[in-house]
Order: sequence, then C-alpha cells, then structure tokens
Amino acid sequence: MKKYLLLISGLLFSSSLALAGDWTGGDDLPTNPLPCSGPAPAGEAKPYDGGSPTGAPNRKGKTITVVDVPKLVGIGYFSATTKGILDAAAEMGSMNAKTDGPSEANIDDQITLIDNYITQGVDGVLFAANDPGAIAPVLKKALSKGINVVGYDANSDPDARQWFVNQAEFNGIAKSLVDNMAREIGGSGGVAIVTSTFTTPNQARWIAEMEAYSNKCHPKLEWLETVEAQEDNILSFNQANTLINKYGSDLKGIYGMTSVATPASADAVTQANQCGNIAVVGLATPNAMKPYVNSGCVESVVLWNPVDLGYAAAYVLRAVADGDLKPGATSVNAGKLGELQVINGSEILLGAPYTFNKGNINDFDF
Amino acid sequence: MRMKSIFRHETILFLVVIAALVILSIQAEQFATIDNLLNQGRFLTEVSLVALIMTFVIVTGGIDLSVGSILGLSAIVLGVAWKKLGLPLPLAILVALSVGTLAGLFNGIIITRFKVPPLIATLATLALYRGLAEGISQARSIRGYPEWFFVLGQGEFFGIPTQLWIVAFFTLLTGFILTYTTWGRATYAIGANETAARFSGIAVDKTKLFIYAASGFAASLAAIIFVSRVSTTRSDMGMGLELDAITAVVLGGTSIFGGKGTIVGTFFGLILIQILKNGLSLAGVKSDGTYIAIGLVLILTLLISNLFNRNSEG
Repeated sequence: MKKYLLLISGLLFSSSLALAGDWTGGDDLPTNPLPCSGPAPAGEAKPYDGGSPTGAPNRKGKTITVVDVPKLVGIGYFSATTKGILDAAAEMGSMNAKTDGPSEANIDDQITLIDNYITQGVDGVLFAANDPGAIAPVLKKALSKGINVVGYDANSDPDARQWFVNQAEFNGIAKSLVDNMAREIGGSGGVAIVTSTFTTPNQARWIAEMEAYSNKCHPKLEWLETVEAQEDNILSFNQANTLINKYGSDLKGIYGMTSVATPASADAVTQANQCGNIAVVGLATPNAMKPYVNSGCVESVVLWNPVDLGYAAAYVLRAVADGDLKPGATSVNAGKLGELQVINGSEILLGAPYTFNKGNINDFDF
Repeated sequence: MRMKSIFRHETILFLVVIAALVILSIQAEQFATIDNLLNQGRFLTEVSLVALIMTFVIVTGGIDLSVGSILGLSAIVLGVAWKKLGLPLPLAILVALSVGTLAGLFNGIIITRFKVPPLIATLATLALYRGLAEGISQARSIRGYPEWFFVLGQGEFFGIPTQLWIVAFFTLLTGFILTYTTWGRATYAIGANETAARFSGIAVDKTKLFIYAASGFAASLAAIIFVSRVSTTRSDMGMGLELDAITAVVLGGTSIFGGKGTIVGTFFGLILIQILKNGLSLAGVKSDGTYIAIGLVLILTLLISNLFNRNSEG
C-alpha cells in the first residue's frame, strides 16, 4: 500500500524531474565514454588513493575472520557473490568468512551492522556500499581499529577503504548496454530506464555514462524517463508496466539497471504482449533471464560473473591482510582468475562485461 | 487502578531489559562495554526522538505514519537550502526544522479540520512528503558538509556522544510534560474519551495540532542528527522509521487505542529493542535471526503484561 502511494507521488514528480534536461538517475561526476567502435584507449596510471588501517597486526599466513556485508541479502546476485567468497575461503583454508547484510538495501541498517562487527572484532570487512558517503565514517572507524577493508560491487569514498574490486568499468558496461539496445531497436526510438534508486552509486554512474555514450554514438536514441524501483520485484514490474502504458508505441526499449528490474521489466513486456515491439536490455543474472531469453522476448543480458566477483574480493582481502598487496602494486593474484589488473589508483578490475544471449545463457547457472 | 496496571507493565519491561542485559553480556563479551553501549546510543537517537512524541500521538488514540518521510524531506531541505540556495548552515538547519514542523502541523490540520482518521491522513502524507523529498532533491545526494557539523552526529561532549545529551533532554522534557502538566492530562483525556474531553472544555483540536506539529519537529531534528552522523543527504532517508518508532512505543505499554501510556515505558521499549539488535549481532546471530527475536520478545512481553494485568483486575 505504502509503495503504491509512493509510486503515485513519484509519478506526479517525475514530470517535473524531466525538466532537468539530463537523464534522471545519473550522477554529476565527469563521464568518459568509450569510442563508438574499436579498442578502448589505455587509461593513465593514478597514484594509490585508498586508505590504510592503523596498527593492523601482522596477519600473514594466519587464519583471519572476515565478515561480508553486501547491500542486502536474499537476492540471487548477492547470493552468488557470497558463494564466490565462500569458495575462495574454502580454497585458501585460512579464512573464516560469513555474510550478513540488511534485508533491505538500507544505509542505516548496513552501517549499524558493520559497526557491530567492528565491536565484535573481525580481521577483515568486505562490503558493497548502499551509499558511498554514508558508509564512509563507519569504514574509516574499521580502518582506525586495524581492520582490513575491501569493497566490491559498489564503492565507497576511496579513502574509507583499502581496495575496491571493480566488476567492470562503468563506461564499458554503458557501451555494452547502449550498443545492444541500438542494435535491437534499429538505432532510433524512445527508451526508458528502470533503476533501483536515483542515488545508488553504481546505477547512477552507469546511467551518466550511458547518457554520454548514447549521445555520442547513438544520438537517435531518445531518453524518455528514468523510474525508481528499489530492487523490489513487484515495484519493478509495476514501474515497467506504467512505462509501457504511459508511452505506448513511443517506447521502443527498456533498460533494466538492476538484477531485479531487468527480469521484472521482461515480465511486464511479456504480459503486455509487447515482445518484439519493446526491447529489454539490462543487467541481470542468467538464471532469472533464461525464460525470457529462451522465449525470444529478450535478446541480450549484460553482466559480469558475480561468483567471480566475490571470489576475487576474498583473494584481494587475503592479499591485503598478508601485506602482499601494497599501494603502488599493478596487479594481484586472484587464485583461479589469475592476475587481475589494478586501475584508477586503488581498484582492481575483474574483466570486461559479458553479454548473455540465446546461444550461451544455458551454459551458466547462477 | 489504571496507574497500577501501567506500573506493572513497566516493571515487567524493566525486568526483561535487565534479563536481556545479563544474558547478552554472558553471550557476547564485547557487549557490556561502556564504548559499545554509548555507541549504541548514537544509533538509537533518531528513532528515540521520534518515538517520544509518537507516545503522545498514540496516547491521543492517533498515529503518525509520516515521520519517516518528514525525516527524508527535512534532510533534503537542509541539504538544498545549504548547498543549492547557499544559506549558511545554521540557517539551513532552522529552515529544515521549520519545514518539518510545518509538515507535522499540516498533518494535524488535515486530522482536526477535515476529520480524516490519522491513519489515513498520515498514510497519504507519508507518500506526499517522500515524493516532495525526491522531487526537491532532483535525485542527487548532497555531501561535503563542514567539519563542525559532524560534532552533532559523530562527536562527543564530556565523553558522551553529543546526540545522547539531546535525547536525554527530550526524554526528561516529554516525560515531565506528559506526567505533570495540563497538556499531558489533556492528552490522556483525549485518548480515553475524545467526546467527554471536548465537553469538559479541553481544547482538543489545539492539543492535537500541537502534538502533530511536535511530531514533525522531532522528525526534522532527527533528520539533522542523521545527516550529521552519516555525512550525506539522501531522499530515501528515514524509510521505515515510523514502524521502528511505533514498535518501541507499543512495546513500552502505550495502548494503540489511546488513553494509556508513558514516556518511561517508551524509553525501556527503545532500549530493549536496541540492545537486542546489538547484543544478538555481537553474539553471532545474523540479522534475520535478530528480527525474529525482536518479534518474539514483543509478543511475549505484551502477553505477560496482559496476563498480569488481567489477574490484578480479576
């Protein structure tokens, strides 16, 4: 009930938001769109800008206790990162890892939870931030108590953690999403976005990069509206449904910005009998998208492998605790993933994004 | 007779709090440290401020579901007034407090002038204020507050977190008002029998207006402390706060039908929920288990209290 009222008031205000000119839900940071075709230019090296723990004990080779605090628990995506972390911990044999997160993507619950684990006394914290600024004070507190802090999936302010495992560069994801959309709808038409909230860091960054890349390489794609859906199944479906009814034949495509919004949007398009008329391109886990990809309603799903993401994060934390990954390093060993590159000063890049389609999606199970 | 049963509920609650403290101290060695307990006070602040006034609201037989949204709206107004309009931060704080109070007053006007049930009125403004917050914020979070502002949410004063002094002050103030003043007695009278209160010459509408405005003020004060604590402003701040506050008030023995309830009860309710959340987490229980435990304690405490009260009455 609350959600529907929120939805109604949200719609009332969405018209005023549209006047802002740029795409709603993007952030104000500078964008760096990739070239429309051809390889990406090499980025320039940046000095280490992460933080460092004060008075951390020597943890080299010792068994460490690690808590993983994702944005929320109980969704497929973070279950997959948890699996990766546990796989890595089992492989290393020197890490006790457990996942505990808020049941909703809520900044306050996440902060309280991390604070409790600091009091409890862990050796390392892995996190995926619900807000880059709001989580910073509690992470800095962890660093001040000598705890190793590594982020994955959603970053905090750089100086509030040591390293961040970046699943894919924002401009890479943006290019992949926009190129797939342009190809599927024939290069022109109205597109809308279903995101989590307008201020969620990853989604805001992607949307800003998508805007930059879309304007540069596919100027005939017309952005209509961005709607919020809180990473909530029912709300995502309703929001997508509202978009379909509101714009009718002007709507050619929907971008799903979360692993919840994309399948829900595909479901809304399917139920409205608009498969083939409205394309859905988005970020999602393969299992959730298999029905729509196999039925032909959705052609491409973009993502990295979240199990690998969790796995890499655990290895990075181990390397940091051992003192093997120091500021200034250019790569780090991540078990079966091999050497991963350091980018942007204090980030570790997992790899290029992956596009799932009818030909390969059934090979994946997460 | 009524005084006696209230006393009983609070005694039971007090015993439950003591039991929880003892059990949790044994279960988790980091729990009963001054550092941890004071730190928990920080997390308790926002919901406490809201719950104190919510006690008045519920004692009148009303409810205020919009407090979480008022918190979000006030936080955004604070950020926008400071960053976008360029007001000095102290002035922006005053603007945010005024907007929150006005939002609460508006609830009161809908409820008293147009005779809309509080549940419906504040359910509507819950959506309205949240929508306003999202509209005004233009979906951007606001950051970069000056260092001195963080004293409120992250600093301390004589070794005790700054915001705990504020909570202590408001606990004493509201406790005094509800127990010892005509305002307090009018609040009980309205909740016990509104028609009778009206015929006894109590300014029912004025009292209610004042209480709902105070509720808005408390939510906006909580917003300022919250922004200072997390050093950023977001339009989704305070979502679900109303349920936490109402839970604490009801656990504290305030009757949802009105006419009965105390600040002391709410105070213990707040403390019990917070130490359960913190203590269980420190004892290694995951957050889903903690929610289950809080639900069970809530039901059990109310059951035991009802049992004792029925016995004393029968």
